[in-house]
Amino acid sequence: MNRTKQNAALIGAILSVLILVSLLYILFPHGKADSYIADIYQDGQLLTSIPLSDVKEAYTFTVTGATGCQNEVEVRPGSIGILSADCPDKLCVHQGFISDSRLPITCLPNRLVILLHPAEQAETDSAAIDMITY
Amino acid sequence: MPLKRLTTLALYTTLSLAIYALESAIPPLVPIPGIKLGLANIITLILLQHGSPRDAALVLAARILLSTLLFGQFISLAYSLTGGIFSLLAMFLINRLLYGKMSFLTGAVGGLAHNAGQLLVAFALTATPGVLTYLPFLILSGIITGFFTGLAASFAGRRLSYIISSKS
Repeated sequence: MNRTKQNAALIGAILSVLILVSLLYILFPHGKADSYIADIYQDGQLLTSIPLSDVKEAYTFTVTGATGCQNEVEVRPGSIGILSADCPDKLCVHQGFISDSRLPITCLPNRLVILLHPAEQAETDSAAIDMITY
Repeated sequence: MPLKRLTTLALYTTLSLAIYALESAIPPLVPIPGIKLGLANIITLILLQHGSPRDAALVLAARILLSTLLFGQFISLAYSLTGGIFSLLAMFLINRLLYGKMSFLTGAVGGLAHNAGQLLVAFALTATPGVLTYLPFLILSGIITGFFTGLAASFAGRRLSYIISSKS
């Protein structure tokens, strides 16, 4: 009985630490930035990168995979999302639009991943200069 | 395999398949792939505690094959199988350490292991490191849902275990 309690305490402690670390990670995202670049991967291949701060007007395009699967992606100024897909669960569509690097959009059946990562400072600077000169 | 054991295990497979079917009728709680209640794990845990690891493994394998055949796509077999094996091994170990007591801890570790296994498959299939950003979400959901399936298993196990015991 005593050993049961000891083991239980140890397991409980490990689980608590895992919960705490995960919560901290979710609540306080690292690398928060003003502008993000969206990387679209399919089958582990980087298809395209879109700097979301450069998007002035929303537009859509369709990503077609090697097996013929399709995801319709919409890019908006500062955010990106999947409008429709031919996957069975549509989780990627339900996730809506993302605008930070906290959680990527993943369509597992079509092996499509949309990841946001902070745009580098140098790039935002040059973009700002461009806007001023423009 | 004795007739009684065969019948008992078939009964448990049916139970876990029914629970699985019921759960897949519930719309996804959060739009994150891999997060689900995992209610069918209750049956695996009951068998692990009141039957034998072999019983649990047989019923789990039968349930995964049947559910993929009935509800899933072929690709979901890879996820279910890896998740199932991970969670079974983890729960077997933890259940040993806890001498069959405190099922909620066993369930929590099982849920955690299940999600870890599924994430590994997702990582292997998509070959995109970014998939690993799901890890904290899957750790949390695995522990929380596993905690409750563990509790459910300890309550239901008390009522259901008399069917398993081969003495009668």
